[in-house]
Amino acid sequence: MPHRLGPMQTLPSPMQRFADSDPVDYCIVGAGSAGGVLAQRLARAGFRVVALEAGPFWDTEKDWVSDEKGSHELYWNDLRITGGTHPLALGSNNSGKGVGGGSVHWAAFTPRLHPSDFRVYTQDGVGADWPISYWDLKPYYELLERELPVAGPAWFPWGDPHGHPYGPHPLGGVGDVLVRGCTKLGLRSVAGGPVGILSASHGDRPHCIYRGFCLQGCKVGAKASTLITHVPDAIRHGAEIRAHAMVARINLRNDGRVDGVVYIDREGKEHFQRARAVIVSAYSIETPRLLLNSACTGHRHGLANSSGTVGKYLMAQAGNVVAGRFDQLIRLYKAPPAHALTEEFYETDKSRDFARGFAVQTVGPLPVAFAKQMVAAMGAWGWGLRRVMMDYNHWAAFGVLGEILPWQDNCVELAEEKDQYGLQVAKVTFNLHDNDKKLIEFAKNKVMEIMSAAGAKHVVQEARFAHLVGAARMGNDPSTSVVDKFGRTHDIPNLFVCDGSILPTQGSANPGLTIQALAARTADYLIKQGENIFFSNRRDLSEPGIRYDLSPPYTHFRGNPRIA
Amino acid sequence: MSRKSFPYKPSGGDLRDLEQPGYYAGYSTLAQKKHWEAATRELVTHRVDKTPSTIRFFSQEEADVLTAIIDRLMPQDDRASMRTISVLPVIDERLFTNSLNGFRYEDMPSDREAYRLGINAINEMALSRFDQSFIGLPVHRQELILKSLHDGKPDPEHPTWQRMPVHRFWALLMEDCVTAYYSHPWAWDEIGFGGPAYPRGYMRLEHGLPEPWEKDEQRYEWNAPADSLSELDEEGAPPEHSSLHGHGGTH
Repeated sequence: MPHRLGPMQTLPSPMQRFADSDPVDYCIVGAGSAGGVLAQRLARAGFRVVALEAGPFWDTEKDWVSDEKGSHELYWNDLRITGGTHPLALGSNNSGKGVGGGSVHWAAFTPRLHPSDFRVYTQDGVGADWPISYWDLKPYYELLERELPVAGPAWFPWGDPHGHPYGPHPLGGVGDVLVRGCTKLGLRSVAGGPVGILSASHGDRPHCIYRGFCLQGCKVGAKASTLITHVPDAIRHGAEIRAHAMVARINLRNDGRVDGVVYIDREGKEHFQRARAVIVSAYSIETPRLLLNSACTGHRHGLANSSGTVGKYLMAQAGNVVAGRFDQLIRLYKAPPAHALTEEFYETDKSRDFARGFAVQTVGPLPVAFAKQMVAAMGAWGWGLRRVMMDYNHWAAFGVLGEILPWQDNCVELAEEKDQYGLQVAKVTFNLHDNDKKLIEFAKNKVMEIMSAAGAKHVVQEARFAHLVGAARMGNDPSTSVVDKFGRTHDIPNLFVCDGSILPTQGSANPGLTIQALAARTADYLIKQGENIFFSNRRDLSEPGIRYDLSPPYTHFRGNPRIA
Repeated sequence: MSRKSFPYKPSGGDLRDLEQPGYYAGYSTLAQKKHWEAATRELVTHRVDKTPSTIRFFSQEEADVLTAIIDRLMPQDDRASMRTISVLPVIDERLFTNSLNGFRYEDMPSDREAYRLGINAINEMALSRFDQSFIGLPVHRQELILKSLHDGKPDPEHPTWQRMPVHRFWALLMEDCVTAYYSHPWAWDEIGFGGPAYPRGYMRLEHGLPEPWEKDEQRYEWNAPADSLSELDEEGAPPEHSSLHGHGGTH
C-alpha cells in the first residue's frame, strides 16, 4: 500500500534526501503549521530545504483512527512541567507531534485577527503593539484562506469584514443552539464556518462527511493540515521532510552565524545537519526550549536571547467550556466541532472593567472529552457521572475564546529534569493577572447567558485554556523582542523563528490561520532576499511584496468572494 | 471484577444484570463495524476482545485496592458481568508502558508515583477511620472516604495529601477511569454515541435525529442506588478544579 495523505493523495515519491554533510539552504525545525508552509514556499522558489520533524510522517489510512483514545499519538506526549497560579494543561490540549504538527488535531476554526489586535498597546495601554499592521498581513490571510481553503459565511461581519472561498457547512445541532441563543439576545452570529474544512471536494481532497472526529486527525482529508495542504507540494518541488528527527541544539559558528543543527534520530543516534540558515518552527514551548538548550559561549542564556525575552510573554487563550442540557436531543458529536461563532464581544468596550475581549464558539466534545468536562464542571463521579453521561445527546457545548494579555512572568524555562533524549525539558509557568481574571469572569457569564437563552435547562462551565502563542515575540526593539517583523532573530543574521511563538499579542482568534499567513510572508521575504541571507549580516527591512505564484495546485483563485 | 455488593434500590424497576444500560435499547455501535475502515475496526474490536489480563505495573495488593476504588468511581453494578467494561487493566497498561499525557504539574509526583501514593493513602485512611482495610469496608463507608477526596477535604487527614494536592490526584484518577470506560463501544451504546463513522459519515445533523442505523432515545426512570453518595448534587457548587489533565483540545 502506498503512503497515504488522505484517501486520495499519496506521498510524492521519490522524496529528495539530503546528506547530513550536504549544506542545505534552509533547515526548518518542525514540520507543522508554519514549517509546512515555509518548506513548500522555499522549495518552489528553488531553495534546498529540509524540515526536521520530531514525530512520525503520518500515513493517514494506517495511522489514524476514528477514536479518541486511539489518537493519543497525535500529541506531544513527552514530559513537560507545568506550574504557576493557573497551570496550563499541555499534551492533547495544544501540542502536536508528527508531520503537520498541531494542524493535524486543530479544530480548524480560521477567523482572522482584527485590525485592533495589532495596536493593543496604542489603543488600550496594555500588552504590546505588533511591528506590522493588519493591512500588512491581510493579503496573506486571503491567500491562505484560498490555500486551505476556508469554508464559511459569505459575509463575516467583524474586524475587517470578509467572505470565504468555499460555502458554509450545513448547520449542526450545536451550531443551531449558538445561533438560537445569540439571536434571542440580539447578538449577530455566523454558522458553517469560517473553518479550514472542505464543504465541497477540492483537488485530491474530499468534502467533509460530518463525522465529528476533527480533533483526532481528519482521515477524510477534508480538514486542512499542512500534512495534506502544503507538504505534498513541498516534496514535489524538492524539499525533504525528515521525520523522527528531534533537534537537540542549533550550532553557532565563531563568526556569530549558525551552520546547522544537531538532531537525534529514532535509534537515538546523533547527527549534524549542515545548513546555510536555520528556521525554528517548533511552536511556543519547543521553540524557546531549543533556543535555551542551544546556549553556548557568548550566548550563555540561550541563542538569540540578548534581550532576555526568549521564553517570556507566553500566552494561552481563556477557553472555558460552557455546557448546557436541553430537553430535546442535540447529538453534539455530529458536524465539525468548529462550526458557529460570534465575535460581538471581541473589541475593548469602555463600559466593561477590562481591556480587550473574547469570542464565543461551538465545541463538540466526544464522549471521553465530555466525561472529563462533566468531572470538572459538575464534580461528577460514580453513579452521578454514569447518569449525566447517559444524557450525552441532550447537551450542547460552547467555548469561550478570550484574550489573555502577554505577561513577562508567563514563560517557558528549562527544568532540571531530562527527557528520553537527555535534553532538559521545558518548565511552563502561567499566571492570570487582574485584567485576565475580569475578562474570564465576564466572558464565562455571558456565554452561560447565551446557552440559557437558547433554552438550556441546566448550564455548567469548566475553566480551561486553549492554544499557545508567544515566547519568542517579534518587535522593532531588539532589547524587548527576539525577532524582527520577518522572523529574523535580532542577534543572529541567519537564524529565524517562524511559528506561533513570534506573536506579540493573540487577540481572540484561533491562531492557526495567522501562523500560516505569517509563514507565507516570511517565505516571501526570504525569497526576495535570496543569497543575501546566507552571506550578509545586513538587515533589510523593506517589504518583499506578495508572491501569488507559489500556491499549491488548485488554489489559484482570483479572490475571496464576499457580499459587499 | 466488579463487586456486586451494592445495596441496590432502584425505584424505576430492577436495573441489574443489564446487557445494555442507558436509553438506546437495541443500539449497537459494534454492529456497524463492517462500515468502519480497517484501522479503526481493528483497534476497537481489539479493545473489546483483548483486554489485557495480566497486571504488570501494580502489585496484587495495590490492584485489589484500586479495583475497589474504581468500583465506586465508575460503578457498573447495573451491568451484567459479561458486559462489564475493564478499567483497571487499562490504567495498569498505561502506567506499565509509562505512556504520558505530555505534562506533569509541578506540585505533583510522576503519574506512577501518584497512583502508588494515592492507593496507599486511601487504604490507610480506611484503616485509621474504620479500623478495616478499604476492600473490606461496606460500600457506604468506601464512598464516605472517596467523597472526602472528591470534596478536597480528606477525612481522615493523611500525610500523602500534604505531598500531593488531593484535587489533582482525584482528577488524574477520574480522567483515567472515564478514558477507559467511555472509549469502550458498550459505553457508546449506553449513551447513544454514533461511534466511528468513516467513510460513511452522518447525514442528519440537526434536531438530534438518528441516522437510519442509530436508535431514537427511549427514556425511562433511571435511579442510582438510593443511598449512594456519588449521585449528582445539582444544587451544590462543584469544586473549582480549574484545568485538569490532558483533555483533548476542544477549540
